[in-house]
Amino acid sequence: MQVADIATLLVNSLTWAMATFLVAAGLTLVFGTLHILNFSHGGFFMIGAYLAYSLANAIGGSPSIGVYLFGSLVAGVFVALLGLVVDRLVLRRLAGVEDAYVLIATYALLLVCEGSTKLIWGLNYHSVMPPAVLDGAWLVGNAVLPRLSLFIIAAGVVVFALLEYFLNRTKPGRLVKAIAADPWMAQLLGVNVRLVYTATVALGFALAGLAGGLLVSNQTLSPTLASAFVIQAFGVIIIGGMGSISGAFLGSILLGIIDAFGQWALPGLPGLPFFLAMTLILLLRPQGLMGKAKH
Amino acid sequence: MQNTSFIGCGFRRDVLILAVVMGLALCVPGVLNRGLVFIAGMIWINAVFGLSFNLLFGLSGVLSFGQAMFFAAGAYATAVLTQHFALPLVPALLLSAVFGGALAALVGSVALRRSEGVYFAILTLAFAELIHLLIANTALLGRNDGLAGLVRPRLGIGSWQVDLAAGDNFYYFIVGACGLLILFIRWIVDTPFGRALQAVKQDPERAEFLGIPVRMHRLAIFVLAGATTAAAGALVAPWAQIVTPELAHWSNSTNPILYTLLCGSAYFWGPVLGAVVLSAVFYVTRTLVGMSDMVTGVLLLVVVVSLPGGILGLLARSTRREDKR
Repeated sequence: MQVADIATLLVNSLTWAMATFLVAAGLTLVFGTLHILNFSHGGFFMIGAYLAYSLANAIGGSPSIGVYLFGSLVAGVFVALLGLVVDRLVLRRLAGVEDAYVLIATYALLLVCEGSTKLIWGLNYHSVMPPAVLDGAWLVGNAVLPRLSLFIIAAGVVVFALLEYFLNRTKPGRLVKAIAADPWMAQLLGVNVRLVYTATVALGFALAGLAGGLLVSNQTLSPTLASAFVIQAFGVIIIGGMGSISGAFLGSILLGIIDAFGQWALPGLPGLPFFLAMTLILLLRPQGLMGKAKH
Repeated sequence: MQNTSFIGCGFRRDVLILAVVMGLALCVPGVLNRGLVFIAGMIWINAVFGLSFNLLFGLSGVLSFGQAMFFAAGAYATAVLTQHFALPLVPALLLSAVFGGALAALVGSVALRRSEGVYFAILTLAFAELIHLLIANTALLGRNDGLAGLVRPRLGIGSWQVDLAAGDNFYYFIVGACGLLILFIRWIVDTPFGRALQAVKQDPERAEFLGIPVRMHRLAIFVLAGATTAAAGALVAPWAQIVTPELAHWSNSTNPILYTLLCGSAYFWGPVLGAVVLSAVFYVTRTLVGMSDMVTGVLLLVVVVSLPGGILGLLARSTRREDKR
């Protein structure tokens, strides 16, 4: 194994990691605050990606980087609005319902997402050209560094930094954290818990839509995108400790490295290292690497 | 939502219901075309799949998101045993069920020890995906293409022979085999063991205090459900005459969940009716891609959010209201 191979593998693993983190961030935020493990998160990510695809199609040709980012933002805002509808119709009614039923209800939402995607955009595969700036690759020595990969890595880091800043340094962010820790006490102190829940759902869904837009050029679009990504995101937030943003960030990097290097070591069994790692962590440290023990 | 005991009609009445349904099912090939007979056979298999899942969920309060691994294990075991080892059908089916039970013992002894609730659900999902990947990458099992061209074997002892490939014979065989499996599952519910599981579901701590070994009971029912699920999967191999890794995909694990939740996990017959209703939904919407997901998802949402008893719960409530009048 040469240095260039290692560099390429590292870039691959970090791309996988940040792509997965972008999806997992909203998932873990909603879980940490509302304690709802949202199966449909992947579905809304997929809808975000398809929206960005339609937008890019409407404009035509290879989008400029500005249009690409604008499309991602539009997808984020639209999916956040969908999140408000979902919150109103479904999530609010799940308060006090057993965990198992909550999981199944969000799975039902995933089915609705997949169904509507198939109805609106069909079963065919679609793809979006990356903006010209991000097309191609840099060669550093013998290592090939695709620009799109570097863009995704940067996007993941920026979203992580912004989220951490928001949650730890701003007042509304601290409110979210306070409610995640103890909603009853927050209510006593006069916080409108319901409103913060709704805002958190909107933010979580916005992150899903944004991720869809940012990653639209990174993979082919098909209705199976949702389930593929939601399982990856589950793995990442489980490894990192459910509900922790920094845990999801580190968990995605760890799983990305395990996945890329595992595939290099076991080329015949794609995906196996990921599920092995996920299973082992669940068995040995169910609270995740960054999570606190339950008792 | 908090239905604590399993609502059946009493063992004798349920056996009677089963006998009537089987009798009706035997008339199906006389009235419907081949395509619909195939679907009817799949409904029987899926009903057993759903009932096995509900042994875990409705009876014992354990949510597994990985039952497809046992279904696929049974299907592949039968395919390999009949195709590669030329084993007769009945021993192959029995061995497949034993194999499913053994796999469940392996998975359950690890997963039930370490996790509960949502974590257990995700852990079983991860295990099932591991099995899915292993199947899709094993040459003996045909990798992503699966095993095709499976024959429906002959059945017989000595001079008494039935060719299951002929006519609708295999359909009748499925009705018989699934009838036996349903009887077995119904019997489990009524045993002292089944009643102890209901106690475990209501309140694990109190059950433990009363001297019920909670973890052992959960493992035992996980193994039994794994075996009956594998038996159902085993019937798919000769019926569809092809097995593919899709059988082990986690979307197949959600099928029994859909059957059960839709019509009511608190009812013994819930998953059976659910299998019928969802097959009907799939059949009616088959020409419009995506519609079946849409309808299934919305139905399930409505049930979970506003009809916790499922369709059977709704029926029960409306008949009770009529009784009062």
